[in-house]
Amino acid sequence: MRQHLLKIILFIIMFGIIVTLIPNNDAFANDQEDQQLDIVFYSSYNYQTLSQDKLNNINLDFYLPVYYENNKITYHIDSSYLALNDTIETISLRTNDGYENMDVYHVEIVKSPSIWKQKADFEITLNVTVDNLDIEQQYLGQVISSIPDDFLGGTIYTIIKYSQMFLDGSLKTLGLALTGTIAGFFLALILASMRLLNTTNQDNKYSALLKKGLNKIAGLYITVFRGTPMIVQASFFWYGFGLFGNPFYCGLFVVSINTAAYIAEIIRGGIQSIDKGQTEAAYALGMNHIQTMIYVIIPQAIKNAFPAIGNEFIVNIKDTAVLSVIGIFELFNQGRKITGMHYRQLEVYFIVAIIYLFLTYSVSTILKKVEIRMDLLPLEITSSN
Amino acid sequence: MSLIEIKNLYKSFGQEQVLKGINLAIDKGEIVSIIGSSGSGKSTLLRCINQLERQDSGSILYQGTDHSQTKNQIQLLRQKIPMVFQAFHLFENKNVLNNLILAPMKVLKLDKEYAVQKAMETLKKVNMDAFAHKYPKQLSGGQKQRIAIARALMMDPDAILFDEPTSALDPEMIGEVLTVIKDLAKTNITMIIVTHEMNFAKEISDRIIFMHQGVVYEENTPIAFFNHPKKERTREFLNLVK
Ligand SMILES: Nc1ncnc2c1ncn2[C@@H]1O[C@H](COP(=O)(O)OP(=O)(O)OP(=O)(O)O)[C@@H](O)[C@H]1O
Ligand SMILES: [Mg+2]
Repeated sequence: MRQHLLKIILFIIMFGIIVTLIPNNDAFANDQEDQQLDIVFYSSYNYQTLSQDKLNNINLDFYLPVYYENNKITYHIDSSYLALNDTIETISLRTNDGYENMDVYHVEIVKSPSIWKQKADFEITLNVTVDNLDIEQQYLGQVISSIPDDFLGGTIYTIIKYSQMFLDGSLKTLGLALTGTIAGFFLALILASMRLLNTTNQDNKYSALLKKGLNKIAGLYITVFRGTPMIVQASFFWYGFGLFGNPFYCGLFVVSINTAAYIAEIIRGGIQSIDKGQTEAAYALGMNHIQTMIYVIIPQAIKNAFPAIGNEFIVNIKDTAVLSVIGIFELFNQGRKITGMHYRQLEVYFIVAIIYLFLTYSVSTILKKVEIRMDLLPLEITSSN
Repeated sequence: MSLIEIKNLYKSFGQEQVLKGINLAIDKGEIVSIIGSSGSGKSTLLRCINQLERQDSGSILYQGTDHSQTKNQIQLLRQKIPMVFQAFHLFENKNVLNNLILAPMKVLKLDKEYAVQKAMETLKKVNMDAFAHKYPKQLSGGQKQRIAIARALMMDPDAILFDEPTSALDPEMIGEVLTVIKDLAKTNITMIIVTHEMNFAKEISDRIIFMHQGVVYEENTPIAFFNHPKKERTREFLNLVK
C-alpha cells in the first residue's frame, strides 16, 4: 500500500515532461574549441499544455547569442539542417525576435511517435558565420520524457493525466445508454401494443384493416432495427441526414430506436407469458381490452420483463461504443483520442476496459437490488382463521 | 320474464362440438347448480354466458333481450353477471383492496373514496377485512377465492357465475368458501354454480342441472334429482360420485 502510494507520488512529480537538451560537443572533436559558441538550450515544452491542435508538437527553444566577441553572428538555420534519428520525424526551427541580444530559435518536433519513451535522441547541425568565418557545429539533443515505461506506471500516469477525458467519456456513455434505454422502453410499449393487436369478430372492416396495418408496421420496424447493426443505423442517420445537427443527439436517437426494437420483443414476450386467467378475470368483470392491458397485464409484463430490460441497459453501455463512428466522444472514443496523444494503447484500452467493467458491474448490482425490492413483501402464507 | 335466458346455444372447438343446443332460463334470485362429468361442457356454458367464449349460434338473453352481440351489450352482461373462476385469477400486481376497486372504478366509474369504503364493507362480508393490504401471493387458496367472490360482488351484480369455486382448494379450505357462498344465497342474488360438491349443491340449490355431452340432459329440484333421477346416465353419474 505504502509502496504504491510512493510510486503514485513519484509519478505525479514526474508528471510534467522534462525535456533536456544536452549539448554534446565531445562527440564532434572540434579543434577550434575557443570558437565554441555558448548556446543555451531551453525547452519551452514544460509550459505547454497538450491541446487538440498541438497534439504532437513539441517546441524547443534555442537561445543563441547575437554577438560573439563583439562580432555579429549570423546563423543559417533551416529545418533541413536537422539530422534526425528514426524516433523523430521532423524538427523545424524558426526564429523569434523577442529577446535582446539573443535570438530565439524554436525547434518543433512534429509527430514523434516515440517521444513518450524515456529518451529520444536527435542531432542538430548549425552553420554559423562569425567574422567571415564559417563554423559548423553539431549538437546532440536528447528529449527525456517522464511517462513510465512499465505497464503499471504507464497506467497510473494515464489515469491521472487524462482523468477528465475518461470521466467525460464515461458520463457520455452512461447518458447515452440510460436515456436510450428509457426512451426505447416507452417506444417499445407502443410497438408491443401494436404488435399484439388482434382482430376479433366484433371489428368492422376498417378497424380490422387498421389493426392489421399497425401490427405489420410494428413488425417491420422490429425486423429492420434488430436486423441491422447499430453502427450502420448510426452512420445512416448521421452521415446520411445529419439528424439533429449534432452527433450526440443523433446518437441518442439511434440508441433509443434501436433499443425500442429489442425491448418491444421483450415486452411482447412478457405480455404473452401472463396467465390468460388475468385477462379473463378482468373481462369477466366488464373491463375492456385497453383497461385490462393498462391496469392488469402491462404492469405484470413489465415487472416480469424488468431483468431483461435491465440487461438491455447493460448491453447499451457496451454497445454505444459503436457510436464513436459518428464522432461522439463516449468512453471508447475518448480512449482512442488519448492513444493518439501518447501511443500507449495497452494502458489506455486496459483502463477503458476496466471502466466499462466497473459501469456494467455496478449497474447490474443495482438492478439486482431493485429486482429483489420489486418482489415486494416477503412471501408469508397467512393461515386462515 | 327470466333474468337470464339461454336460447339454442351451440359451440364447437374445431371439429369438436361442445354445446349442442342449450336452452335454459334462470329466474331472478334462483340458485342453480350445474353438475356433470368432465368434458360435458359445463365450463364452456358458463364462459358463453359471460361471453369469454363466443357461441357459434344461439343467444344469451339478459332481462329479455339478447346481450351477446355488440361490445356494449357484452360489457353490460359481464358487469351484471360476473364470473368466479376455479383458479381465482386475482390480479397479481394489485393488493386485495385494489383488486376489489379496480373494475368498479374503471367500469362503474365509482370515485375512489366511495369504492374503498364499499370494498371494506364487502371484505367484511367474506370475513377478509384484515387482509385488505395483502398481495394475492400472500394468501391461501381459500382466502383468494373469498377475495375473488368479493371482487365479483363489488360490481353489484344481478347474478354470479361460479365455475368449480372449490375444486382447486385443499380440503380444509373448502368449508370457508362454501360458507361464504351459502351466506350469499340468503341474499336475493342469483347464482349459477358449476360444482362437484354434491352435498353442497343439494343443500343450496333451487334447481340442479345435469349436463351430458353438451346438452342439458336432466334437470329437477335437488330432492327430486338426487333421490329419484329419471334417466339412465344421471343414475350412472350419481353412483360414480357417491
Ligand atoms: N379453448 C378450448 N379449445 C379447444 N377445446 C376446448 C376448449 N375449451 C374446452 N374445450 C373442450 O370442450 C370440451 C368441454 O370442455 P369444458 O371445459 O366445458 O368441460 P367441463 O364440463 O367444464 O369439464 P370439467 O368438469 O373437467 O371442468 C372438452 O372436451 C374440452 O376439451
Ligand atoms: Mg370445467
